[in-house]
Amino acid sequence: MNVHIEQIGKESEELVLIKCREITDEVREIESFVKSRQGSLTGVSEAGQCEIAVTDVCYIESVEGKTFLYTSDSVYETAYRIYELEEMLKNKHFLRISKPMLVNLMKIRSIQPAFNGRFTAQLGSGEKIIISRNYVKALKAALKGE
Amino acid sequence: MDLKRFLINKLILFFMLSTLITVAVCLIGSAFDPDAQFGYKTMLAPIGYAALCMLPTFVTYSKKELSPKALLIRKAIMFALLEGVMMFIAFTSKVIDTSRIEVVLVIAGSILAIFVLVNLFVWLKDSAEAKKLNRDLEKFQELHR
Repeated sequence: MNVHIEQIGKESEELVLIKCREITDEVREIESFVKSRQGSLTGVSEAGQCEIAVTDVCYIESVEGKTFLYTSDSVYETAYRIYELEEMLKNKHFLRISKPMLVNLMKIRSIQPAFNGRFTAQLGSGEKIIISRNYVKALKAALKGE
Repeated sequence: MDLKRFLINKLILFFMLSTLITVAVCLIGSAFDPDAQFGYKTMLAPIGYAALCMLPTFVTYSKKELSPKALLIRKAIMFALLEGVMMFIAFTSKVIDTSRIEVVLVIAGSILAIFVLVNLFVWLKDSAEAKKLNRDLEKFQELHR
């Protein structure tokens, strides 16, 4: 696939156009990536495929090779791997807090001590998730903007 | 948890245990054998007991992050082993009168008290850390809202 980038004036609307013979998984992946850069992610729920605003995602979890996006009231499956989302969303206040989990720092209501030096993050939805002690240092740095 | 951090935590625990065991030995000794006299070497006994107590704590080590339930089970095993180690010391010691049931019960109770205190100290430390994290979180959210 050739990649062509054309610089346009401020008066024109920016556009990513994909010309393809067939809409394959690869094309969908590129589409999904572009959308994620704009602040939305593609997810699949029981109701079908939809776009979820990144700001609505509370946390992201990888379970048995599948990745799920959790909003305050729904769960969506996404084709992305957790490490890909970590890279894509690092500038959108998402941080890894355990091996299988990323959290939206803007959605944490409070942090409490958990058993054996770990912490629990209580989300706006009331849900509690574990912050692994291995990631506490990174959390401290992120909150301080380092 | 990586081994280095685990060992640092164990070192902190060792000093905590040494202090608390010294206090426990002093209190139990004052209650049951107030006139006993010891040589300088005896002052090292609490350090030795603390070192022995460190061995059962290694059951909580895991390269993987343990689930809260798994950790609770391991802590329970660790506590049982601690009681076992200290009871072994008590029953093989020539200076501890284990024929008196109240002495055995007080030693067992002291181990429980030390176990609870150590976990309480750790929780208090984590609690202070959580308060700081919450303050930083609030600032972060205000800045990026």
